Amino acid sequence: MNIEEYISTGVLEAYVLGELTPKQRLDVESKLQQEPALREELRVIELTLEAFVHKGAFKPGDGVRSALLSKLEVQKEAKVVPINSQGAKLAMAASVAIALLTSYLSYYYYGQFQQTSQTLGNLVAQSQQLAQDYSVVNKRLDKMQSDLSIMGSAAFSRIIMKGTDNAPDAMASVYWNSGTEEVYLSIHQMKTLTQESQYQLWAIVEGKPVNAGVFDMNPGGLLAMKSVSGASAFAVTVEPRGGMPTPNMATMQVIGTMPKTS
Amino acid sequence: MPNITESELVMKLKARDKSSLEYLYDNYSAALFGVISRIIRNEKIAEEVLQDVFLKIWDRISFYDPEKGRLFTWMLNVARNQAIDRTRSREIKNDKKTSELESFVSAIEARGNEELATDAIGLDEVLNKLPEEQSFVVRQLYIKGYTHRELADEFDIPLGTVKTRLRLAMMELRKQLDIK
Repeated sequence: MNIEEYISTGVLEAYVLGELTPKQRLDVESKLQQEPALREELRVIELTLEAFVHKGAFKPGDGVRSALLSKLEVQKEAKVVPINSQGAKLAMAASVAIALLTSYLSYYYYGQFQQTSQTLGNLVAQSQQLAQDYSVVNKRLDKMQSDLSIMGSAAFSRIIMKGTDNAPDAMASVYWNSGTEEVYLSIHQMKTLTQESQYQLWAIVEGKPVNAGVFDMNPGGLLAMKSVSGASAFAVTVEPRGGMPTPNMATMQVIGTMPKTS
Repeated sequence: MPNITESELVMKLKARDKSSLEYLYDNYSAALFGVISRIIRNEKIAEEVLQDVFLKIWDRISFYDPEKGRLFTWMLNVARNQAIDRTRSREIKNDKKTSELESFVSAIEARGNEELATDAIGLDEVLNKLPEEQSFVVRQLYIKGYTHRELADEFDIPLGTVKTRLRLAMMELRKQLDIK
């Protein structure tokens, strides 16, 4: 550091008037410690300033001195007891320590609280997701159980419908309870249709096709269809979406007749 | 109390020796009042500030560190800051019938016309021997109570130039006042 240059910036004058930022002030203070020449310059600046200010001295009114001293007197009476008592000092120190500690702790615990509530939020979201998944699985299980009870039930006849020339690989079954007239459809293999078309199930009752409901390709277990009585056969055609009152026989996909049992 | 050294005085002040404050008042109140009353043109308020300054010196003497500068410099800054703070208070602004919105600087400008009778006579004697640009900086900083920053902004002088002009002025004053 070139001391002459440093001094000529006027930094010491600014320091003396308290015009530096805290950082600049610390810098000046550390340089003063190292450089006797700086300390000497500072001393001269301060003496110059003092002499200059004394040149502009202006005596205040006489009342100020006595007012000041009587205020000191009052202050003394009010303050001496607590300040000089060792206990009060300890209490003061303790309360400052407690205040510092509490503010640190509240800061610390606030951070912990933030973290914990975030974790809790995540856990709640996770448990909601689990409950949802569980409910989906549970519904699927119920469905499978009820499907199984239908398929295993002696009250239901199974009519296997095989593919026609339109769809040789297609296959589906109807489970029909002739007593309760319930009809369920199980798709084993059928191709996916365009959005405009839908499959329609027909029951052949006394030689005539009766609408038993429309369905889309849906491999998810048994489909409940319309109740039908007195069917001798079942068939599926492709119809415009929503179904038709009479089948378009040319589009027939699968057909099967009631097994001859009873 | 006869003349005592500054370090003795500081020791006595820190020991809460009330006579030391009386000594301080008797020896420095006029110098500090000179500073305050140039910043605050209302004599009554300036006297209140002077009293506050001495109470502050008494209360805060434990914060004074002789390693960092002379006691007088510390007291001067207490006085200067207290006076500047007071000019920013509502009371002063109302007293001078200036709008609340007016800045501190313009409030000072407005008061510039009401010169105290004793204003700067002793100071002019030395300041008039300085080059105009240097005496200008000293007057604004010491006599009107501008901060370096306010002076730089108000008169469009770079902050570094304010500092170096003050530096040159202080060297000149050193000669004038025969400081060694």
